[in-house]
Amino acid sequence: MNADAINPAAWSELWANLAIFKDAIWAAGLAGALLGFIGVHVVLRRMVFASSAIAQAAALGVALSFWVPALIDPIGHAAGHAAGPTAHLLPSPLFEPVLWAIAASLLATLVFIANPVRLHLTRESMLGFVFLVSGAGAVIVGDKITQESHDLAAILFGSAVVVQTIDLYLVTAATVVLLGGHLFLWRALLFVGYDPMGARVQGMPVRALNGFLFVSVGLAVALCTRALGALPVFAFSVLPAMTALAFTSRIGWVFVLATLVGAFSGVAGYAVSFRAELPVGATQSATGAVLLTVALLWRFAVALRDRRRARNQPPSMSTGSTAVPAGSSAPTTSPASERASTASAPRTDAA
Amino acid sequence: MRTALGLARPITGTIERRPGLRLAYVPQQSALDAIFPISVLDYVLMGLQGLGNVTLLRRGAHLAAARRALAEAGAAAFERRQLRDLSGGQRQRVLMARALATDADLVCLDEPTNALDAASEQEILALIERLRSRRGAAVIMVTHLVEDGLERADRALLLDRDHGVALAAPSAAMRTAPEFQHIYGRFVGRHGHAE
Repeated sequence: MNADAINPAAWSELWANLAIFKDAIWAAGLAGALLGFIGVHVVLRRMVFASSAIAQAAALGVALSFWVPALIDPIGHAAGHAAGPTAHLLPSPLFEPVLWAIAASLLATLVFIANPVRLHLTRESMLGFVFLVSGAGAVIVGDKITQESHDLAAILFGSAVVVQTIDLYLVTAATVVLLGGHLFLWRALLFVGYDPMGARVQGMPVRALNGFLFVSVGLAVALCTRALGALPVFAFSVLPAMTALAFTSRIGWVFVLATLVGAFSGVAGYAVSFRAELPVGATQSATGAVLLTVALLWRFAVALRDRRRARNQPPSMSTGSTAVPAGSSAPTTSPASERASTASAPRTDAA
Repeated sequence: MRTALGLARPITGTIERRPGLRLAYVPQQSALDAIFPISVLDYVLMGLQGLGNVTLLRRGAHLAAARRALAEAGAAAFERRQLRDLSGGQRQRVLMARALATDADLVCLDEPTNALDAASEQEILALIERLRSRRGAAVIMVTHLVEDGLERADRALLLDRDHGVALAAPSAAMRTAPEFQHIYGRFVGRHGHAE
């Protein structure tokens, strides 16, 4: 940041014009909080590219919302072009791009709900499939609607400098409903993600819970992408969770911290982009990345300190388990001896 | 075992389950994902989740039951530690604690003594015995400890794809079965367990 970037007059300018920018700041903060919370499940389940693939699906949905009306009624569509941009953009509420984006996102989540193991595939490869099909589809359909290409780009990567009121309402509603649902179900979702077989055996509704998670990811990504753009949405759904996981190992605090880091990245990123005249979405993403870098450095320093402490401690004879159940003999478990035992285990099982 | 638990469809026949039957499954340690920051106490609390208690919103009300199970399994000392940071023996005791907390009628264990040293093996087998004798739970266990398994089990099922063997019998009868003798006869009785 150069010397001009810390001129306090510019910060006061942001404050003075808060009425203009407050919708965008609110949208960024709410989207960061929502995606930060949901992102913990996404990161722990190794689905970090889910939001990216869903955003691509949303892109295809938006492109189709322009192309399908032109296909159904080419004459009316051409007349709409002649009449001006507002005349042809929304020929019917059915072709509202946000609705198509949500529909395409939810359709993409169906792929994740299906169990890819039965097809001898991983979920990661299915994410790649959705990403590529959606990306290729958006480019092909986008090529057919060159006249709306600028509108398409605006909707897909919408400039967050100013957010439409309707988009703020949608993001607010999504945050209240989806975050509320996630707060209610966070332990259930954690159990199902960590030990799906154990959860099924104990009667947990695994499929319904996974369905809720994927649908909520789809809705959150589709609505937030429309308001903020694809890049910060992907960043908010990955970086805050990674930051929280680097800072703490207490799962409850991971969710709290990820929510706060997401909200902070959105608001602080917006402020920095205003002050330094940088692209909003990229600055919000970079803010999240800086926080993650700090967390990783902190983690590295803690690990280094622990290693030094361990090296300075005198060797102890007692390793492994220390607690002994009443009436049982003293255990002498150690990871090393267990590894040795593993090596001699026979292959045949008897039940 | 997966078929019995309802995790896989039977190739032929049907599985009938008594209404209200409570099941617990103890996975292999290698099935646990080390990425998840799950504390020992949180893991045991998962054993108290199920169809009637999906959300576990009133966590405090279940803490006592979870701590009782941890104490019974000899794992109370590390309830605040991360499951991923424990040694294999400690971790297996925590897995057993969750099965104890579940208070299940039928507990299925997948290689509970895998990757453990001899002392830990005996501890875990004692805990399994406690599940059966004190809690009255039926136990199905996959194990490579043939001798120990036959000593403790009422019935044994021998599955060996290599030799094309599928044999179910009372444990005492299993020892003398020709199929069993063909595979394990030269190991059992000479050493502590099959090698």
